[in-house]
Amino acid sequence: MNYSLATLWHERPRFLPGIGAVAFSAVLIALQCGLLLGLFKITSLPVDNTNADVWVGSHEVLSVDLGRPIQLSKISRVAGDPRVKEVEEYYQAFASWIKPDGGSELCIVIGSKLDDDSLGSVHELTPEMRDALTEPNSIVIDSGERNRLGVNGIGDYAEINKVRVRIVGETKGLKSLAGPYVFCSRPTARLILRNMTPRDTTTYYLVRCHNPKDSESLAHDLNEEFKDRHDMTVMTKDSFSTRSRLHWLTKTKAGIALGYTALLGLLVGAVVTSQTLYAATTASAKEYAILLAMGIPRQRVTRTVMVQSFWVGLFGILLAYPTVHGLAEMGRLAGVVIPLPWELLAIVAVVTLVMSLLAGLVALRSVRKIEPMSLLR
Amino acid sequence: MSVPADEQPTLRGVSLTRSFSDGGRTRNVIDDVTFELQRGQITLLMGPSGSGKSTLLAILSGLLQPDRGQVLARENGHWLDVWRLSPREREQFRLRNCGFIFQGYNLFPALTARQQLEIVLRWGDGVGGREARKRADEMLHLLGLAGKENKKPAQLSGGEKQRVAIGRALIKRPRFCFADEPTSALDWGAGQVVIDQLQKAAHEYESTIIVVSHDQRLLEHVDVSYHLDDGRLTETDIPANRGFEPWRTGT
Repeated sequence: MNYSLATLWHERPRFLPGIGAVAFSAVLIALQCGLLLGLFKITSLPVDNTNADVWVGSHEVLSVDLGRPIQLSKISRVAGDPRVKEVEEYYQAFASWIKPDGGSELCIVIGSKLDDDSLGSVHELTPEMRDALTEPNSIVIDSGERNRLGVNGIGDYAEINKVRVRIVGETKGLKSLAGPYVFCSRPTARLILRNMTPRDTTTYYLVRCHNPKDSESLAHDLNEEFKDRHDMTVMTKDSFSTRSRLHWLTKTKAGIALGYTALLGLLVGAVVTSQTLYAATTASAKEYAILLAMGIPRQRVTRTVMVQSFWVGLFGILLAYPTVHGLAEMGRLAGVVIPLPWELLAIVAVVTLVMSLLAGLVALRSVRKIEPMSLLR
Repeated sequence: MSVPADEQPTLRGVSLTRSFSDGGRTRNVIDDVTFELQRGQITLLMGPSGSGKSTLLAILSGLLQPDRGQVLARENGHWLDVWRLSPREREQFRLRNCGFIFQGYNLFPALTARQQLEIVLRWGDGVGGREARKRADEMLHLLGLAGKENKKPAQLSGGEKQRVAIGRALIKRPRFCFADEPTSALDWGAGQVVIDQLQKAAHEYESTIIVVSHDQRLLEHVDVSYHLDDGRLTETDIPANRGFEPWRTGT
């Protein structure tokens, strides 16, 4: 059995604070990142949960919810590209929601084609909902937004931009960050957004390619064609999704907050781990001193401390994973989505393991202090 | 004093001097000490507290540099001046030649008796796991610790722990073994076992063994005895009825 591992097991009360500190760091970073991922996933939801391969929006649009009107006149040019299977117009803009009791709330109105092969309808809209939405001035909201919108659910009336609307359906799990999503047909959207979206304009063209692999080249070619006009930008689904999330990440300075929290977690973890390893090595200083007296290189003791720091890191991570998943599940039950993709967990594992090894390096000053002569005094 | 016919010196201290600063004034703890140790012999170094015994042991073993003088060690027919070696060379010299036993057993609490010995072979000489285990078990058997291989220090008596510490010092079959008060914490029964093992090592491995101790009872079990007082060394008489005389003379 590995001597370092044997020591770790034998002196587990001594090493537990270090293992706990690594676990704390890993949990903190993973949950912070997961929460942010969940939060910003909401901002790109209209892009992620629909079927368009390419989005054509206003010039250098920063995020899907910030699209400005674009002329409809170019739609035939886009549709004429041999790589394009179909194009449809899509409306999205902020609007003022007046609650039945008179209060107001900012909402995001999304008007899309409602057919089965629609490119702009989110997947959560069932055929029944889409059928109901064909009725003029009908809308679908998310059930999680009832309180925010001041309504009780299906059948309630409200007012958006002075247009009286009726709720005909409710989705689940489409809560929004900036304002509740309101789904409707394109004619209803044009009516509600009549002041922001002038005649002969739309917010986006949504494009489906014959072969989705052509998305990149199509976006590139159309951007080249439109670049002198400075009125439109063409993006693939993935790049627009990333752009939307990054915009919110930087706009809200959440990235900086995340960085600070992660740094704090790492710092606390590193200090506690380092102190644990330092104390453990100092406690065995006399045993190590005998080995040094017998000519065993100091480097060998150094290696032992580093191996111990590796094990402390690994056990900390192993402790952190079920904790993170448990907390994420609790969050889910409370209605907070915390995505934990394997890439995130792998990065957290690497970062905390490196932190633990660095803590081991700091603790090495205890090895430098070991002096065989101390045994003879 | 009885010594083997093929007696030859293996470790020499020549004009060794070491001083320490004590409250602003310098005191010679070791003062111009010259003596030599023989192969296969146990040398006892006695003296009152603060007489410099441990300092002399540290200088001879290459752990503490003298202010003046030489420590010469015989290795493969050549004399090495231990304190003229580089620190790395001195470390390698100790690795090849030296074993240490101290009053405190200083065993790793997490490791079994076997592992305490294995670690010396594996970390020091790069011996493979299986070979190290075999040699550790053999040594424990020789020390009367068969069946205790998997015991940790907390499960061993004081005497057993000291035997493991001796095993750790002797597992490499060192040319030189330095023992600082090896029996002080033991009752006489356990102390007897320790001195028996040191005698065996001197006889079977032809190790040069130097023991620093207050323990007067050791006098009748060693080959040579020195008394250190105020940094000066004087040879003392060994009682005639030495306990290991029979095997020493082969009868």
